[in-house]
Amino acid sequence: MQVRSQVSMVFHLDKCIGCHTCSVACKNVWTDRKGAEYMWWNNVETKPGTGYPTKWEDQEKYQGGFETNGDGKLHIKSTSKTKVVPNIFHHPNMPSMDDYYEPWTYDYQNLFNAPEGSDQPTAEPISMIDGEKIDVQSGPNWDDDLGGSPIYAENDPNLEGLTEQQRLQLSSVERLVFFYLPRICNHCLNPCCVASCPSGALYKRGEDGIVLIDQKKCRAWRSCVSACPYKKTYFNWFTGKSEKCILCFPRLETGQAPACFHSCVGRIRYLGVLLYDAEKMEEVAKLPDDELVEGQRSMILDPFDPEVIAEAKKNGISDGVIEAAQDSPVYQFVMKWKIALPPHIEYRTLPMLFYVPPMSPVQASKPEDTITHNSDNLFHDIDDSRVPMKFLANLFGAGHEGPVRYALAKQKAVRWHRRAETVGDIDRETADRMLREANCTREEAEEIYKLTALCTFEDRFVIPPMHREQAIEMMKEPHEHREEVGFGFVGGPRRGL
Amino acid sequence: MLATFVPAVGWSQDTPDYYRQNCMNCHTIGGGRLTGPDLKDVGKRRDAEWLIGFMQNPKAVVDSGDAYAAKLVEESRGVVMPIAPGMTRYRAEQIIKLIEAESKLEKSQFQGVQISNKPFTEQDRIHGREIFLGRQKLKKGGTACNACHSMHDLAALGGGRLGPDLTRVYERLKGRKALSAWLMAPATETMQPVFKNHPLEAEEIHALAAYFEASASQTEADASVNRIAFLMMGLAVAGAIVFLFDALWKGRFYGVRRPLLEAGVSAVHLGHKSTPASTPSTLAAATGESNSPRGHS
Repeated sequence: MQVRSQVSMVFHLDKCIGCHTCSVACKNVWTDRKGAEYMWWNNVETKPGTGYPTKWEDQEKYQGGFETNGDGKLHIKSTSKTKVVPNIFHHPNMPSMDDYYEPWTYDYQNLFNAPEGSDQPTAEPISMIDGEKIDVQSGPNWDDDLGGSPIYAENDPNLEGLTEQQRLQLSSVERLVFFYLPRICNHCLNPCCVASCPSGALYKRGEDGIVLIDQKKCRAWRSCVSACPYKKTYFNWFTGKSEKCILCFPRLETGQAPACFHSCVGRIRYLGVLLYDAEKMEEVAKLPDDELVEGQRSMILDPFDPEVIAEAKKNGISDGVIEAAQDSPVYQFVMKWKIALPPHIEYRTLPMLFYVPPMSPVQASKPEDTITHNSDNLFHDIDDSRVPMKFLANLFGAGHEGPVRYALAKQKAVRWHRRAETVGDIDRETADRMLREANCTREEAEEIYKLTALCTFEDRFVIPPMHREQAIEMMKEPHEHREEVGFGFVGGPRRGL
Repeated sequence: MLATFVPAVGWSQDTPDYYRQNCMNCHTIGGGRLTGPDLKDVGKRRDAEWLIGFMQNPKAVVDSGDAYAAKLVEESRGVVMPIAPGMTRYRAEQIIKLIEAESKLEKSQFQGVQISNKPFTEQDRIHGREIFLGRQKLKKGGTACNACHSMHDLAALGGGRLGPDLTRVYERLKGRKALSAWLMAPATETMQPVFKNHPLEAEEIHALAAYFEASASQTEADASVNRIAFLMMGLAVAGAIVFLFDALWKGRFYGVRRPLLEAGVSAVHLGHKSTPASTPSTLAAATGESNSPRGHS
């Protein structure tokens, strides 16, 4: 057993209202710089939709992530030692600026400086790349709230495997549905970006598993950009280095939640430590698709198990981190209740950001002129939900419905249970039967309810002590370091070696 | 023979050897100019102090604006005399004495190789071309000319591009004597180190001179045909490489958003998709048409 700790995340999609506050918080803190305008380390996508960059989930085109092709080994799809040389001047799977968007601002000065005329001056859009006037063609969430559905929503790669009827239903009146998918770097256990970098500039921090790009080592190969299946590394065209979400490690190190977590209006975000067994990594990453979700769970260790604690201490994980792992809300969602699932685990990078799949309204049909709902029940059968199970399975279950069905059934049972408790229009027996069917007890339902609906800051963010002093000790005298820190942003990203 | 000179004039014993190694490439004594001027009676043209200063640092003298030095540089076609290794004031004085003594002789030992006056034959020209192309190795092991130079009558790829084209070198150097002198001791920075220890033999120089003499009668047009052929070949190869890369990366990435958009727009316009959401307004939003204030300006 090789115990390591990982700061992991849960996004509760049932609570996301799609306000983009997280994206704006992140942009203001980290990517409001030249060359980083188009980077959205945090973005919120509408599903169904093609997301950002356009159709990032289409790995036929982008070739992100790993594959196992019969020889019992994991291969990076986009690159290899032999492919580096022929692709040295042109990487064939790189998204272009058009697949992101050309960042723009507006010519606000024109509002003040325009010569007197017969009409009101306008602030025309100007490119932030070359300063010329542009005709805006796309943006970071161009398909927000199903904007441009016939082009974007209908090309969502997750629609694969849906029947024609289910597809039609997604865009019909009274059947139309969408939900939001906020995304940040998943800080994967088996990060493809790290594996692909020819300069060795990317690394996964030992103490908390945060994946970072060393700005001094990056040599602009951009292998990480094409290798990351979630397209969460971005190339800064101004500094000539790649950048990505750093999980606000400077905030975590001072005990604060990352900016996007902190600012989340819907309180959908949870952060906590998971202990995992690194020895199992390769074996799990090679499992067949339908075993991946369970396989990843089998890597995550019980922080109360004395054997695990002993092994963790042997690996230098401090008591504080183990305590944080025991209090971790992520452990509850992922391991205890099993209602949070990794996104697209079939990319085999073992993401450590988990999503609670969203509930959706009941389907309706229009047999004649009137619209009737397929169920009178407010908490209807999950198979009658407007978002097809298969769609969620493509997103969160590598195409297999089992884990998604389990998570949704349990969430539904909790609602029935709370309805029986507080409103009383559902009898206790029915509620208990629901709970049993969902493999849930009354106590567990109460816990889920509390951590979902009544959670405080301290419940949602259990930030472990980062023990930077220990990490610094390896490189430098801590007292010397203390004298040098705090004098501004000295190590900022910039061009050059 | 040397021993007979030593008591008479009194320069140190190694001076003739030093002269042979460092001066003879460019200068004769009584043999006419090579790269540098004939040094016979040089002591009468300039005083000893000037000569010593010049030998110790020729470039400094030239840079100081000395009119005589400037004339020397012009006569030697821009070649500034290098500082010989181990040059000291004492050494310079010795050399001046040596030149003085040698100048008085009827026939100096440093008169240099006599350039033959034999007329050029067709045989010589063919032999010269063989030498130029390196098919006939140089006897002292020097590098073949076409490693760095090209000529009018070479195949399409021609010779090297490091040195100038030598088609009209015979004319440029003003005839047989100067050309032969040059070949005896090439003095440019690039050629000197190559040929210093591998000089050309007299008969090789003769053959090459014959070859260059014949080529000088080529018109400008002939030379430019060669250059055009080279350019065309370069274009053809570049084109071939582009097509090769295109074929190699047939399955490459052509962008995702734009094809999606084009496919979507054409499908909607043709009425292939008729979902209620496919209204013109949502389509306009998707293509960005509605967001274009200057759409038709």
